[in-house]
Amino acid sequence: MSHLALRNLVKVYDKTEVLHSINLDVADGEFVVLVGPSGCGKSTTLRMIAGLEEVTGGEIEIAGRVVNNLEPKDRDIAMVFQNYAIYPHMTVRKNISFGLRSSKMTKAQKDARIDEVAGILGMTDLLARKPAQLSGGQRQRVAIGRAMVRDPAVFLFDEPLSNLDAQLRQQMRLEIKKLHRRVQNTIIFVTHDQVEAMTMADRIVIMKDGHIQQVGTPAEVYHTPANSFVAQFIGAPSMNLLQGVYADGAVTLFNGVTVPMPGRAARAGLPVHLGVRPEDIRPAANGAALLSGTVSVAEPLGPETLIYVDVNGKEIIASGPGKQPPKAGDAIGLGANPADMHLFDAATGEVIA
Amino acid sequence: MQFYRNLTITQKRTVWAWGFLAVPILFYVIIRFYPTGNAMIISFQEWNLLGDRTWTGFDNYVTLVRDPVFWQVFGNTFMYLLLGTPISLVVSFVIAYHLDKVRFAHGFLRALYFLPFMTSAVAMAWVWRWFYQGVPIGLFNNALASVGIAQIEFLNSTTNALPAILAPAVWAGLGFQIIIFMAGLRAIPRSYYEAAQIDGVSSWTVLWEITLPLLRPTIVFIVVFSSIGFLRIFDHVFNMTTNNPGGPLNSTKPLVLMIYETAFASFDMGYAAAQTVVLFLVLLVVSLLQLRLLRDR
Repeated sequence: MSHLALRNLVKVYDKTEVLHSINLDVADGEFVVLVGPSGCGKSTTLRMIAGLEEVTGGEIEIAGRVVNNLEPKDRDIAMVFQNYAIYPHMTVRKNISFGLRSSKMTKAQKDARIDEVAGILGMTDLLARKPAQLSGGQRQRVAIGRAMVRDPAVFLFDEPLSNLDAQLRQQMRLEIKKLHRRVQNTIIFVTHDQVEAMTMADRIVIMKDGHIQQVGTPAEVYHTPANSFVAQFIGAPSMNLLQGVYADGAVTLFNGVTVPMPGRAARAGLPVHLGVRPEDIRPAANGAALLSGTVSVAEPLGPETLIYVDVNGKEIIASGPGKQPPKAGDAIGLGANPADMHLFDAATGEVIA
Repeated sequence: MQFYRNLTITQKRTVWAWGFLAVPILFYVIIRFYPTGNAMIISFQEWNLLGDRTWTGFDNYVTLVRDPVFWQVFGNTFMYLLLGTPISLVVSFVIAYHLDKVRFAHGFLRALYFLPFMTSAVAMAWVWRWFYQGVPIGLFNNALASVGIAQIEFLNSTTNALPAILAPAVWAGLGFQIIIFMAGLRAIPRSYYEAAQIDGVSSWTVLWEITLPLLRPTIVFIVVFSSIGFLRIFDHVFNMTTNNPGGPLNSTKPLVLMIYETAFASFDMGYAAAQTVVLFLVLLVVSLLQLRLLRDR
């Protein structure tokens, strides 16, 4: 069983540094999701762990061994690719057996191992088929199966769900999570979809521009974001950021309203962003309203209605009731509890605690 | 116009489709199908290009079967096919496979390989003819002489002449085949190779079990295409043996050259047409056979 560590990991492509000294420790059996916008370095990190990209600087350690100069096959890892990389001219059994090519098992042991994995993934009856005869979800399972037969110390998933339709993606999300619970291998999972990250991960690593922004459990990154990027990236729709100025335990917002934010360590006159998630900002009676504006669009989602409100020319997303929601064009007041608000330095984006 | 306006959308589309199709159809009927049909009819007639055509039934075919030169030519044609296609296939694949991995001067190298394909076959044949001359003119024999190896009669030997003519023909077609192979190689997703790398299989296994099977459609195309080319070989042979076309002793003569001589040296159009029909049938059978054998199961 294993443990993965990245120490001061650096990647340079043609003189451009794309990964700036990343540090990460992954515990044995942990499910860690790397998430971030495209170009943030998450896939590069994964490919470096796999050994498909060279390490420019720093160290990668898997199960106590530094693997920087080891071939992928010697790293005790397995990878599931975005396009599955299953060979169209081979049967499912042959595809899965490819993962065992370099192993020293006997033919009978290999067959038994393939049958065992096929059983776990519920595709015993698909083994004789060719990939063209499989659905998207089944192909995905074959790709996972090929990785599983190797019983690696670390599983690497490179955006494996992005080629599936929404419903199937949700289903596979659940299956992979159940699978992890069952096999207990360490998993590093790369995605650009924050919902995937939130639903699957034990811990989430949020990356941007080759830097790690925050590492934490889904609850931690959601409720206590380290900066305004994490705050806006995690959660859909995004957190509202309201411009304001901090002074003496209160923030004066751009529309002149003052919100008490006691106990924050910031200097007076500091430009700040006040972050409020849409579900924490709701229609309020005029007296209790923090902001007031006009509804520009209302999106009924069933249990709730997302209300896009124009406040002094700035769009704020709020959450309204599912039944009898405000309509477009209505004048509306919005209120929020200061306890649900986050305060960020407007210049650096860092949270002010 | 009223009539057109009243048509349904499907009918209007049909009118336009047939309107555009009419041009190539007319072209094919007049330029291709009519002469083809005519050649088949002439093969049952006797005609010297100027006089009357007279029906002779299967006489031309009977003559053909009894003509020992025809059987030699038939054999030569298949030698071109059976040597040329596999050799050019393997050579072009090996070059394409390695060229695909070269980053340095990639475009220049590719252009270099493609150059022979764009060069006139006549010019090329004459240059190679010079290569093959004896000392002190020919390049190859000079090279051999300089290291003390005996002269080789390339074009004047009944055994060496056919391969000597085949070599530039293979070389001329390589550029095209390399380009096609490289396109095929590029179409294989990188992740297939990366997955194999992680699975730790040898590069030999990758070549035989991943690259080649996935190149199957490309290989089928090249095999069929180059086979047709070698079965129709003419210009290299004609230009490298102009003093005695197809010689020495008919040892290099392909079917097309025999057809040409029968038609435009002997003016025996009926006999030439019969040979043409045989060539047509050979091409048809070989192509269908290859497509069937190489088709994806």
